[in-house]
Amino acid sequence: MNVLFNWLDSRTGHRRILHDALFEPIPGGARWRYVWGSTLVFVFVTQMVTGFFLWTAYSPSTLTAWESVSYIQNEMKYGWLVRGIHHFAAQAMMILLGLHFMQVVIDGAYRAPREVNFWLGLVLMQIVLGLSLTGYLLPWDQKGYYATQVATNIVGVTPIVGPHVQQLVQGGAGYGHHTLTRFFALHAGLLPALLIVALAAHIAVFRRHGITVPKKFLAQPAAMFWPDQILRDAIACLAVLATILFFVVYKGAELSSPADPAEAYSAARPEWYFLFLFQFLKFEEIDRMGLAVGAIYIPGAIMGVIALMPIVGRWKLGHRFNVAFTFGLLLGAGYLTVLALKEDGANPDYRAAVAEAHRDGVRAVQLAKDLGVPAGGALSLLKEDPLTQGPRLFARNCAGCHRFHGHDGTERLVVETKGDEHNKVTTPVAPTASDLGDFGTKDWTKRVLLDFHDVFQPLTNVKLEDGTSVGDRFLAGDMAAWSKDNKETLSKPENADSLAALIEFLAWQSGRKDLGEIDQAKAEAGQKVFQSGELASGALTSACTDCHTMKLQGAEEALSENLGAGVPSLTGYAGADWLKQFILNPGHAEFYGDNNAMPGFERRMSDKDLDLLVRWMVGDYHAAPKAH
Amino acid sequence: MTVETSVTPASPSPPPRRSFLVEAAAVAAGAVVALAPLGAGLAFLADPLLRRRPTMQGASADGYLPVATLAELPSDGTPLRFSIIADKVDAWNLFKKQTVGTVYLRQIAGQVIAFNDTCPHLGCKVDYKAADKSYFCPCHASSFNLDGGQTNRIPPRGMDALDTRVTDGTIWVKYQNFQRGTEAKTPVT
Repeated sequence: MNVLFNWLDSRTGHRRILHDALFEPIPGGARWRYVWGSTLVFVFVTQMVTGFFLWTAYSPSTLTAWESVSYIQNEMKYGWLVRGIHHFAAQAMMILLGLHFMQVVIDGAYRAPREVNFWLGLVLMQIVLGLSLTGYLLPWDQKGYYATQVATNIVGVTPIVGPHVQQLVQGGAGYGHHTLTRFFALHAGLLPALLIVALAAHIAVFRRHGITVPKKFLAQPAAMFWPDQILRDAIACLAVLATILFFVVYKGAELSSPADPAEAYSAARPEWYFLFLFQFLKFEEIDRMGLAVGAIYIPGAIMGVIALMPIVGRWKLGHRFNVAFTFGLLLGAGYLTVLALKEDGANPDYRAAVAEAHRDGVRAVQLAKDLGVPAGGALSLLKEDPLTQGPRLFARNCAGCHRFHGHDGTERLVVETKGDEHNKVTTPVAPTASDLGDFGTKDWTKRVLLDFHDVFQPLTNVKLEDGTSVGDRFLAGDMAAWSKDNKETLSKPENADSLAALIEFLAWQSGRKDLGEIDQAKAEAGQKVFQSGELASGALTSACTDCHTMKLQGAEEALSENLGAGVPSLTGYAGADWLKQFILNPGHAEFYGDNNAMPGFERRMSDKDLDLLVRWMVGDYHAAPKAH
Repeated sequence: MTVETSVTPASPSPPPRRSFLVEAAAVAAGAVVALAPLGAGLAFLADPLLRRRPTMQGASADGYLPVATLAELPSDGTPLRFSIIADKVDAWNLFKKQTVGTVYLRQIAGQVIAFNDTCPHLGCKVDYKAADKSYFCPCHASSFNLDGGQTNRIPPRGMDALDTRVTDGTIWVKYQNFQRGTEAKTPVT
């Protein structure tokens, strides 16, 4: 063995190199306060390693970036672990960078002869910020997409060169394939290479001048880098690793829904360590000065003050100023971060948007997994998914009057805001049409039969010019009277089976698949009730067929024709086709006729949107993910 | 010849005490932090070995796909090339109705014989030369007779026959690929 090492040493001199690297004396002894630089090197190496492995599975294009990341995260073995480490180590790096910087400033380690190394450190900091910014876009999810838009638009307001640099970075006038390929080339190619070079210089210069030992420790005995300081460094790295793994296991790296340039994302926020800048730019005073001032000149000036620290710090007072400036910055950034979190926490729109993006993300992952991603990418799965699009279409087209379990379909309350910007009063808006949250379910049918008045009560909120309301037409109509007259009979315990049979019959005829298995015998018994009005005990004041049109599914002849215009047909009631025709023309004689107050959607909605909305309302979509 | 080794400077005084325990702990902790990300990454890289995934969908439960009808095959036993159409699975993607492979089909006295047209040597596509009544691989000149037997020593085995069955005039083929370059015919799964 020794012969081999001697041979190697004669060729490389490795013993000397190793000795120099390990046996550097540390005046005043090894200390915990010197570990920050080593933890940063450790995290950077971790990023290189995990980044390389992620690279083996990542595909940078707008049709494959989200898809490949989702595949890494949810399908590949240990993908969640590798991506999780990369994700949280990036955030750990920001914190360690801050700690390392503070330690340098407090110990005055920037003073002569270490000025150049301080500047090298600042260069490293910029590269790390660049890595974090470019990495945030790569998953191509809503969060990263819109947060990075802000960053590239800030680049765009740089005087003179801004728009050109922006296009150069984006690879065109807007975001696309080349934005990803360029960001990826920066993230995995140029920036790490620059970082390695700058880091090598940083460490080399550091070794030249040695560690900055505070005066009070100088009297104590020296220790060697190996093993005393290395042990402390390794334990600190172990603690960093444990913290990262804790977050990987208990939180997991997030992946929101695939980036969609057509879908506004009102919860767009940068990653938490840039939140202070985001909040800073929201101040009216800053905003009035222009984006370039808030986003470029002021941060630039702050970086300038930091860069001048070694020169200012030559004077005792200057060093105190530097320390105060650093703490001031931290306090300010901390305050702004808390303010941003507080404002968002109190903003229901923000929370609803976050929840929606999360739902979309979970849904996209589920669809990609269950159905496979088509050539059009995962976004096309969401675009054709009734469960995703239905609520949005409902909110846009129906929630002006209707509600869906009390909200607008997307779990946002329908509210109106009064007052000026500083004194907003938000109040819920009363619906002017029925709540369709359970439209067409057995429960809905039961309520229409027994409590017609309750279901259509919101219509009374529509006042007409003559002082009456739309509600009057319905609540004083024949069906309302029928419901009142028959409620008692239908509610009798001995008629429970007859009522259930009638409801089963309508569920059968709707053709809907979301109402459970149809009990055929029960449904046929229900048909008798429907046609004759005969119950187990007593009879209805009139049979359904006395007024409503009904044609059984697949039958040639109708069981009954409606009594007159304005009595809705029950042929396939609440099924996809019934609902589609109703939405297109609710004032048709087959539906509400002259009683109708709802606009027809014949020209207001595309066929595709109508189809998505209807399929969502009748539960015709790939089963929703199980809640957990 | 004497071996010249580099000289290490003497430790500065006073020499700090180095305890074996401290050294061992430093090595252990260092090894954990260095190897944890690497280990996770290597396990991730091994994904294709740890989890087998299908490359296509749409075959019957026992793996057969409809490829052609008996009427399409010449009765004199001349081989014809057909596409295998199935849903192609590629990592996250599912491409509907794609050509996932091609096969030669022959009909002899009502019996159907199918060959995977991938050369068992190194995986090029084998051509059929009607003039020679033989299969010939353009890459390394492997050649096979009509029955798929090797006619030179280049390929390690004959062409890979595939299981077939005929129902109501439709020919179904159990499309599989096999490990190339080996004498044994081992399915690649």
